Amino acid sequence: MSIATWLDERLGLERFRAKYLGKPFPVHSTFFLGEIALFCFVILVGTGMYLALVYEPSAASITGGAGPMPAAYASVVAIDSHPFGALVRRMHHWAAQLMIASIVLHMLRIYFTASYRKPREVNWILGLVLLGATIGASFAGYLLPYDQFSVTATAIGYGIARSIPWIGSLVADYGFAGQFPSPSSVPRFFAYHVVWAPLALSALIALHLVIVLKQKHTEPADAKATRAAADAHLIEGVPLWPQQAALMAVLMLVVIAVTALLSAFLPVHPVEFYGPPQPMTPEVKPDWYLLWVYGALRLIPGGLSFRFLGATIGSEAIGAMLVPGILSLAIVLAPWLDRSTSSLYYAESPMASPSRLGFGLAAITLFLALSVAGFGEELGLSVPVLWVITIVAPLLAFGGAYLLAKRRGEKAGAP
Amino acid sequence: MDRRRFADLSLKAGVAAAVASAIPGVLTLRGKARESATRAVAVGDRLVFALGQNSGQPVTRGSFSQNEAVLAYPENKSDNHENLVLVCKLNPTALVEPTDLTGTAEGVVAYSAICTHLGCTVRFTEEPMDAAPFPHIHCPCHAALFDPQKGGMVMGGPAPRPLPQLPVRLNENGEVVVSGPFSSPVGVQA
Repeated sequence: MSIATWLDERLGLERFRAKYLGKPFPVHSTFFLGEIALFCFVILVGTGMYLALVYEPSAASITGGAGPMPAAYASVVAIDSHPFGALVRRMHHWAAQLMIASIVLHMLRIYFTASYRKPREVNWILGLVLLGATIGASFAGYLLPYDQFSVTATAIGYGIARSIPWIGSLVADYGFAGQFPSPSSVPRFFAYHVVWAPLALSALIALHLVIVLKQKHTEPADAKATRAAADAHLIEGVPLWPQQAALMAVLMLVVIAVTALLSAFLPVHPVEFYGPPQPMTPEVKPDWYLLWVYGALRLIPGGLSFRFLGATIGSEAIGAMLVPGILSLAIVLAPWLDRSTSSLYYAESPMASPSRLGFGLAAITLFLALSVAGFGEELGLSVPVLWVITIVAPLLAFGGAYLLAKRRGEKAGAP
Repeated sequence: MDRRRFADLSLKAGVAAAVASAIPGVLTLRGKARESATRAVAVGDRLVFALGQNSGQPVTRGSFSQNEAVLAYPENKSDNHENLVLVCKLNPTALVEPTDLTGTAEGVVAYSAICTHLGCTVRFTEEPMDAAPFPHIHCPCHAALFDPQKGGMVMGGPAPRPLPQLPVRLNENGEVVVSGPFSSPVGVQA
């Protein structure tokens, strides 16, 4: 009796294989973006497991080579001081950047092919929660090197929490373990970054994938044309085992290789350049995925602050909570704002709906325009000019995309 | 009381006790500031350099010339970040309302260095900018602008409130000493 049969008799492997490992995965070059994000997460956990062993989560002052410095800062400098540590820390940073980038591209792919539609609304929202949680995990990690830059960036987060109407100081105190910065800040953010974030992300990712398995993947738009109507319920693709698994293994190796390559040649956040925290604030800009919030904060003038039900809705709350909140809500509600209600089994062509294409490109343009507003001084653009760009550019993008898709549709429909 | 009702009540009481006992645990999340981080600025405190080789030394009349500024803490109170102030030396005749003129001496005027927008440390700028005539205070984070000659009023940018002024005087040794409380709450306020 072979080992396979022995195991099968006890674990029912054959039934498992028949039921789950044959799941068809439609193949398309844009269907791998979510997987790339998953592999980045695997790299983050792997590199993080090493970093957590050698990092010291404490702001206590110790005597380093260049005088007194926080223990956390000194431990990150020590990690950077040998090639293996420096490579692991760089890979941790690059994997985080790539993870957020691939989640954003994955989201855009889902949006422009209308794959958020019924029955996939739940996974659309879960995916957005994953994006938010990933950004949150990155933000919690900002503080850990405890250099001048990271303390400034986290202090801005603390200020944003404080600016929340009615409950701001409570939220800030509970979230940041008291006034920021304090000796409690680093241990609290270490716990967020190393325990809470990875566990929450793991659970959300598992749920996201189980729902994909249950609901099955959408097929590429062109599959519909070649399929007889009677077979519409069929899904054509490679089975999970072994073809899809092989593709995934190759992709994972490619993601690891790309991350290692980037890390070998491109440095990340230069801890020693910023130095240990001081009362002064350096010139800081956030990572690319938060530049739009940063731009909004620079654009909203102090004069827009207003009183409402006994609280002040300050310009900082408008720029960091209200504007991002409204934009995020609009994205969450996309499945309900899209008026086409029919269920969807094939990914649609981005050109199929002029308004969907228009709103999508307008949103991308708005996020880019807000990010550009973060560079107003460098670009020599004044705040009023940036306001005009932020309002006009998305409108132009909407109009252009709408007309383009409309004309394309009319041409295709003409005899 | 029958057995079912007794079991039911016991269960509810048990859950209530468990929830109640968790409350202090949740309240702990708020964090507890160290004593040194709660020391507020008080009348009579000397201001000392917050940075550089003179760190901890008193700021005096001779520490800066006109249109210069230094970052300072009240002496022995540097653990409370909200005590950080920007002490500016300006042309005395240029200082106008709403500056608290009784809280200035020989053109020395002090403002909270915590930006009212999102809490970064503000800077006194040497060079004029397009948006602001010299002298002015600006925040490197989101480009808030404040007027040190006019009580820290907002000159432009995103700050919702003026910088709080800290009244100061010069003592017999020429040291900058606090002479009153901040004119408004420090830092980000909802």
